[in-house]
Amino acid sequence: MTEPYMRVEKLVKKFGPFMALNGVDLEVYPGEVHALLGDNGAGKSTLIKILSGVHEPTSGSIYIEGRAKKFRSPRDATAAGIGTVYQDLAINQLMSVTRNFFMGRELTSAFGKLRMDEMNQIAHDEMLKIGIDFSDPTQAVGTMSGGQRQTLAIARAIYFGAKVLILDEPTSALGQKQQMEVLKTIKRVRARGDIAIIFITHNEIHSKLVADRYTFLALGQVIGSGPKAEIEAQDIRRLMAGGAEMKDLEHELSQI
Amino acid sequence: MNERSEADRMVQETWFQRTIRRPEIGAFVVMVFIILALAIASDGRAFNALGVKNNVAIIAQFGIIATGAAMLMIAGEFDLSIGSMIGFAGMSMAMMLKWGLPFGLGEATPFMAFLLTLAMTLSLGWLIGTIVVRSGLSSFIVTLGFLFFLRGTTEVSFRLINQSTQISGLPDYKETNWFADLMGGEVFGWFYDLWFMLGGNLNRKGEQWVTGFDARFLWWIIIAGAAYFVLSRTQLGNWIYATGDNKDSARANGVPVNRVKIGLFMFTAFCATIFAACQVFDTNTSDAAKGNLKELEAIAIAVVGGTLMTGGFGSIIGVVFGAVTVGLVANAVFFIPWIDGSWFRVFVGTVLLAAVFANERIRKRITGGI
Repeated sequence: MTEPYMRVEKLVKKFGPFMALNGVDLEVYPGEVHALLGDNGAGKSTLIKILSGVHEPTSGSIYIEGRAKKFRSPRDATAAGIGTVYQDLAINQLMSVTRNFFMGRELTSAFGKLRMDEMNQIAHDEMLKIGIDFSDPTQAVGTMSGGQRQTLAIARAIYFGAKVLILDEPTSALGQKQQMEVLKTIKRVRARGDIAIIFITHNEIHSKLVADRYTFLALGQVIGSGPKAEIEAQDIRRLMAGGAEMKDLEHELSQI
Repeated sequence: MNERSEADRMVQETWFQRTIRRPEIGAFVVMVFIILALAIASDGRAFNALGVKNNVAIIAQFGIIATGAAMLMIAGEFDLSIGSMIGFAGMSMAMMLKWGLPFGLGEATPFMAFLLTLAMTLSLGWLIGTIVVRSGLSSFIVTLGFLFFLRGTTEVSFRLINQSTQISGLPDYKETNWFADLMGGEVFGWFYDLWFMLGGNLNRKGEQWVTGFDARFLWWIIIAGAAYFVLSRTQLGNWIYATGDNKDSARANGVPVNRVKIGLFMFTAFCATIFAACQVFDTNTSDAAKGNLKELEAIAIAVVGGTLMTGGFGSIIGVVFGAVTVGLVANAVFFIPWIDGSWFRVFVGTVLLAAVFANERIRKRITGGI
């Protein structure tokens, strides 16, 4: 077994008296898709906000390649190789693909002049690597589909050095066909072998299609985790519902 | 299974199709129409040697402040204090020239008067920008406050120090001083020399009539040229677009959103100061009402030129077309004696509304109708 790129130990986060995370462990390996599942309010968002440096944990530690790290800002997390692709994607609609790709990290020559041709080429090549052949990187992002925007945000995170790619419900606001496009993109990134992906989703089918490893959260705690082989399909459904037995639910529903 | 990907759905367009869909095209068409209409209605007088000089003078004035207003609007903010800033800067320069530098520092040279005034207006721009980004208030309301504050300060200062809200009869500095000449003198004399050599540009005695453009023409070219370069070719330009489009996603990607905005508030203050300096050193006068309503005209020109009210999109070339259009119409009354000058505002109002609708269509097209 290879070393995990990132390891999280006994992570606790309290917001005042509210226990958002209560001792969460997580390991992510390069070349693997780690599905993070859980109901609303399970603590998924809090966990990724800690991993991406938005919040500081109350206690617990994060190890990158075996070394303990503290993230005081999103910049620290980015520097440690953690790239987060949020649901809103941090993309500007009126700007071109290239200008979005390099937003805030433009390639410049003297006087801050943009190396536009080079940037167009890189944006095109990086997006092609994970599956979209964009003939015109000068077109506005507003004309792209949701799946293509997702790809742009992922390609951008990888190009700027992400070794752990956190995808926050990348399939949730998309149509069926575009969901499949995003899953293909995830597979292609996985195939590179050097990037660990944390895939946050509500969708059991999507997680089964791409995930190598699972962690289930409920009420701020890990209620199940392990490689795909160890987690049976039946288990997934039960754990997805936060541990509640499907049968109980059926019973309760029939009584209404 | 077909091999069509989503990228194939973008239809390749011809050069002509791309051109007529450019955001500046509306402003361009209106500009050409106005040039032709004015030429016909004035029997060509609007474009004789003096007509061109006078038209360019007012176009350049509009162009200078509209460039600043457009840059700021692209970054998602407004500045309603431009007009009052012009009055304030003009007052400050004229007073120093007449009454000497503050704190008993002696006689003011035109350059020192300008430099001290610029230091004040840039500080004010910085203050306005800082208040806007720190408070999170709408720039509309913050700069409206400064519209009143600066105009009032200008009038009070005039009355306290000068006992009158006007200064006139300053020496004609541009004859003797390099800096005054740079702001208020003449430029591009070769253009009128050439016109004269080619047999035009004659006065009644048959001598050369006009000798050059007002210096503000050169300043407009410099400011608009720099703005165009920054917006379309530099990192700062990308930051300005990103800030105006969606400041949260810009910030998430490391764009220093607040610094961009504060810098652009300082840039509008800079443009207002240049406007005022050209006026003061051209006419050797100043008065407390100078620059009145100019902020609204600057915003109107920016919108006519295709700048979105909501930020994130706009073009300096469009603003140039807008400035030419509005400048020509503002001046039309001097060339068409039978026309009522107030038609100018009727025209600006109408074109402004049409432009807002056109811009909204452009925005929808770019964002795919959202």
